[in-house]
Amino acid sequence: MKTILALATGLTVASTATAETIVTQWDQFAQSGISAAGPAMDELIATCQPSLGGATILRTIAPSIGIRDSYRLAVSAGKTPDLAYTWPAASVLAGYARVGALALLDSYYEQYGWDHVNDFYRGRNSHDGHLYALPMEQDLMGVYYNKALFAEHGVELPTTYAEFQAAAETFKAAGIIPVSFGNRDRWPATNTFSLILGLTAGLEAEQAVLFGDEPWTNPAFKQAAETFQAWANDEYFPRGFNGVGYDEANALFLSGRAAMTITGTWVLQDMIRGAERIDLGVFMLPPIADGVPAGTMWGEGSQWQMSASADQAVKDAAAAYLDCLTSDASRQVWVEKGHTVPIGTTPDELAEWGADPIVQEFFAAGLATPDSNFYDLHTTLPESVTQVLYPELQRLVGGEVTADEFLAAMQASWETAIANGERWIP
Amino acid sequence: MSDRTAYIFLLPALVLYVAFVALPIAQVVGYSLFEWDQGIIGDFAGLSNFERMGGDTVFWAALSHNAIWVVLTLAFPLMAGLLLAAILAERNQHVIRWMSAIYFIPRTIPLVVAGIIWGWIYNPIFGLLNYMLESVGLGGWTGAWLAQSETALLSLNVVGAWTFFGFCVVIYLAAIQSIDPSLYEAAEIDGAGWGRKFRDITVPLLKNSTLFLGLYAAIEAMRFFDLVWVTTQGGPGYATEVLTTHIYKTFFLVGDFGYAAALSVVLLAIVLAISSISYFLLRAK
Repeated sequence: MKTILALATGLTVASTATAETIVTQWDQFAQSGISAAGPAMDELIATCQPSLGGATILRTIAPSIGIRDSYRLAVSAGKTPDLAYTWPAASVLAGYARVGALALLDSYYEQYGWDHVNDFYRGRNSHDGHLYALPMEQDLMGVYYNKALFAEHGVELPTTYAEFQAAAETFKAAGIIPVSFGNRDRWPATNTFSLILGLTAGLEAEQAVLFGDEPWTNPAFKQAAETFQAWANDEYFPRGFNGVGYDEANALFLSGRAAMTITGTWVLQDMIRGAERIDLGVFMLPPIADGVPAGTMWGEGSQWQMSASADQAVKDAAAAYLDCLTSDASRQVWVEKGHTVPIGTTPDELAEWGADPIVQEFFAAGLATPDSNFYDLHTTLPESVTQVLYPELQRLVGGEVTADEFLAAMQASWETAIANGERWIP
Repeated sequence: MSDRTAYIFLLPALVLYVAFVALPIAQVVGYSLFEWDQGIIGDFAGLSNFERMGGDTVFWAALSHNAIWVVLTLAFPLMAGLLLAAILAERNQHVIRWMSAIYFIPRTIPLVVAGIIWGWIYNPIFGLLNYMLESVGLGGWTGAWLAQSETALLSLNVVGAWTFFGFCVVIYLAAIQSIDPSLYEAAEIDGAGWGRKFRDITVPLLKNSTLFLGLYAAIEAMRFFDLVWVTTQGGPGYATEVLTTHIYKTFFLVGDFGYAAALSVVLLAIVLAISSISYFLLRAK
């Protein structure tokens, strides 16, 4: 149905777009690695372009890590591409919206009925009550595990935090690294801590800090920080984890030397491809504190945002193109050829489209708790706070600071960011 | 050549210098005097970006790490280079040619590549260094070299020394070979041994080379970035943060162009001060 609507919309666009309308696009869809959806992007441009009334997509591929830096410079120079698939949303997106760099998308949301984007994601892509981006990739956090090692050591899948701890202790006693973790790149700890925080404090307590007046130095956040530090002290992680790269940690897990690794759906393709020597499984980390509901960290991998300075015809063509990229038919292409699961895709659709069983398992578990899923800190906080979070987490898990000192540093940075007007509130 | 002709020949270089050196520097100084929001220039901020440095603990940590780097570079690569050059200078030309080329090879390796190589050597799980220590029964000495605050900066400095000492050998070797051999012959007649000749002839006569290498090392120690970025990104925590990585993060990751520009101005002032000292000291000799 949506495809038919998209084609009909294409006819509308034809009235404004011409053969001279060029939509410049920056994206991060490479042929391998974290954002290995290049083949899907190529196919979808070929599919969607004919319905744009003669408009052409002029594509530039940028590395997924570097694209946010490139985009920042482009904003500064007033040279943003018409359309960019970049990250993060929330505070950073709101900052660009605040200085007038991004086009309003409210009318396009209404025109195309992008209802697959729920309130959580709409909030993350908004500023001052208006929508400025269309999130696409669905990211979830979970625990990849080695089924053979679990079976060999008689460990059942943990359904409580105590069982998770018992499993870790069993593997440690057997000389197996319980959780493969590498934080040399600085950002992986933020994901792990975001997961621990959400399962310790819960969504409401997070929101009380992120959007309210509750300080970081509250008891629930302290428990989360102490839990993360305890994992390091209790040797759940490999030796020298602050000097081990993210890819190396994944390789360590895939080599069978670690029983689990805690990371997100963004490496599903690499995990599946690399899991030739292990029987790969996935489960959700159980709640850590009493009374906190099950859930996981979720967010958009990246989001499509449009330049405020683009011509109206270009904006209209870009919006029609985005509608095509997120149609039901296109979502299937993203899943099958991009190994990327777009927002709005259901576990039933994944099964129908024949997605890898691990993909189905991951999304079935992660999407089962939409009301209690929580935030990923480093794509939610202002960059000035994120740049404090990275080193302070290294110090926390490295045992250089206490949980109190870590939270005090975060609170200080948080207060400065709020004073500077950098906080994002959906 | 008349003055007029000379100035005409000098003009293109001067224009390029103004366009690509003087103006960008002036631009950065200008940026440092304004507030910025997401890369968009805001109100005039006076010297407030500079005043922020007083309370920026990361800035002071970074500055101290640069200073430690200078001291360590002066202490090890220069001394090792001097000693090796003095020993090499007494060998035959064939040995000198080969050994100086071998010592110089690390200098030709880009710091990014050196960082990757040494990142593997230091890797706490499958690194060569820990493997070798365990192989010779020193398993108790193994460590997570770049992952611990106590060892990270020193371990990185070893990499810097590895890439720099060969350069010192070559410079010292050339200087030693230009020393009048009769000085050594006279000392030998007077019964001086190798150590005495090294201390009383070689070292004093290499003062200019030592000065050049020392100041060159100091300037490089303030400017280096790539080695830290590819190995630790300034971590763990702030243990290997240096001024250039602090500037990079402030500019590209935080987007605080005004403060990043102020930090850059301070870095520029330090490098220019060292360069000026070097210029006057070397000219005075």
